Amino acid sequence: MHNSKAHIWFIAPAIILMIIILIFPLFLAGGISFTDYNLGNKSLEWIGLENYEKMFSRKTYVKMIWATATYVIVVVPISVVLGLCAAMLLNSLRFGADIYKTIFFLPVMATLLAMAIAWEFTLHPTLGIVNNFLANGCGGVREFILGLHWLPWVDSQQSWYHVACENNMDFPYWLKEKGTAIWTICFIGIWQAFGFNMVLYLAGLTGIPRELYQAAEMDGAKSTWEQFKLVTWPMLGPTTLFVVTITTIRTFQVFDTIEILTKGGPSKTTYVMMYAIFEKAIQQNLTSIGAAITVVFIGFILILTFFQRYVIEKRVHY
Amino acid sequence: MQAKQYIGEGWKHSILIIGAIVVLLPFYMMVSMSLKSQQEIQSISGGLIGAQEVQTFPVCVKTGYSEETCTTKPYIYNYWFAFEKAPIPRYLMNGVIVTLSIFIIQVLVAMPCAYALAKLRFYGREFVFSMVLFCLLIPVHGIALPLYIMLAQAGLVDTYSALILPWTISVFGIFLMRQFFMTVPDELIDAARMDGMGEYSIVWKVMLPTAIPALLAFAIFSVVAHWNDYFWPRMVITGNRDLFTPPLGIREFRGGIDSDEFGPMMASIVTVTVPLIVAFIIAQKRFIEGITLTGMK
Repeated sequence: MHNSKAHIWFIAPAIILMIIILIFPLFLAGGISFTDYNLGNKSLEWIGLENYEKMFSRKTYVKMIWATATYVIVVVPISVVLGLCAAMLLNSLRFGADIYKTIFFLPVMATLLAMAIAWEFTLHPTLGIVNNFLANGCGGVREFILGLHWLPWVDSQQSWYHVACENNMDFPYWLKEKGTAIWTICFIGIWQAFGFNMVLYLAGLTGIPRELYQAAEMDGAKSTWEQFKLVTWPMLGPTTLFVVTITTIRTFQVFDTIEILTKGGPSKTTYVMMYAIFEKAIQQNLTSIGAAITVVFIGFILILTFFQRYVIEKRVHY
Repeated sequence: MQAKQYIGEGWKHSILIIGAIVVLLPFYMMVSMSLKSQQEIQSISGGLIGAQEVQTFPVCVKTGYSEETCTTKPYIYNYWFAFEKAPIPRYLMNGVIVTLSIFIIQVLVAMPCAYALAKLRFYGREFVFSMVLFCLLIPVHGIALPLYIMLAQAGLVDTYSALILPWTISVFGIFLMRQFFMTVPDELIDAARMDGMGEYSIVWKVMLPTAIPALLAFAIFSVVAHWNDYFWPRMVITGNRDLFTPPLGIREFRGGIDSDEFGPMMASIVTVTVPLIVAFIIAQKRFIEGITLTGMK
């Protein structure tokens, strides 16, 4: 080997930056969360767990946890399943797969903030094409399909679509109404995330040897569904684990759509954690409570990742 | 059998086309609004590009431009007025400055470290590597608040440094490069040493050229992530328009649904969004590779 001391100069910058930028802030957030510090204060006082008590007792923060959980629980499974379905559909196409792939990947690339504004207009009650499309469909096929009139238990005179048509085209103001805002935000989240998952699944699918399908067929798995259960799904185990973890971590960090579209409202139904940190700590200068939210947030993410790395990872290998 | 297969293919395409329409809906809305006149936008008429009738735009006249300047086709007016109202080139420049600085510093820090971790033997190497692995778990957006406090204490809020500093260390970059360097044969490095090359020149003259594909993927990942990032600039840039990155510019253009004219607003948003999308469409294979290979954020 060689006797140079080069390695010290090679690793020192990285180590110093890791400590200052990534590790120290963890302790700083932890420390501040036990005090009443606000940015600009000269002194601070140790107040123990008060910030955390507030977090788990005050309505606002309970709603924050609720909104974050709803968003993650809705967006992660749907965008993963959609990604998988899209990947399998594309994989079985004879032609045109590349075009769909490009289109579905566009939302991943595009600046989310810009797309959020575009969605805001698309879903706007008077300017948007969505509500316009719905209004033009009153009494027609669209009402039948989207109003779920084809379900035996839905009364066609009582469906949401029919009622809206009757009340002078009173379709929802998707982003501003308490009942729809969080679901609309979730929808935009899914719209943005599924293309990414699709591409990861496409990569996973190319890794499955063709012989496995032939073997499965010989063992009597004739239908597509049986082959999926027997071969595709188990073989995609590691991909799925990776996709779920990445999507969850990204989903937890949702901020752009909330800040520009709902500001956490109406009545805190979309008040997710990242937005809460921003609003409390930066806009209202309540630094210590922001730090407490940060600690809980980081806690969630670390638990999730450890869970992935050490618990499930052992079981997905076939 | 043949017919059955065609029907199956047809079904798949119809499902995918519906999906594609939903995916493209906001893009359509965005482009369409940026081309049409205010009346056409408000009455939802005119299809994608509108009638493009020459007309005089009242908001433009009110702002103080001559009637002659303000009489033109909607799409020309929208884009022209967008550039008149906001320093769009400045925002794009800032985007380029910030993303490039971040990427260059990330590489300068990560490459030597990755090389040392992959190819040099020294005391504490395992410890440094496990530190890297631990840091991989920390989402930088998650620790934004303590970082903001540190920058505020240092008086750096509202500066380029605030936009760049927190991203100078990419543990993912280190990890990725290390994995890549592990595959480079030791003989190559030994040969370079025999030729009398120092460790520094080995990193930049031997390792760097071999790592170009990985570096390119990482570059795309890094640039896309930071070009699109809104959260961090929103935290640290409070009012100084000269430092606005493209997403902050977008936020400024929006000004609310009640703003006077949607055409120029959407034109600004399209202008700021388009460079990355065009780059993606031109080099989509590389982009998809880069973003998924390094699918961590």
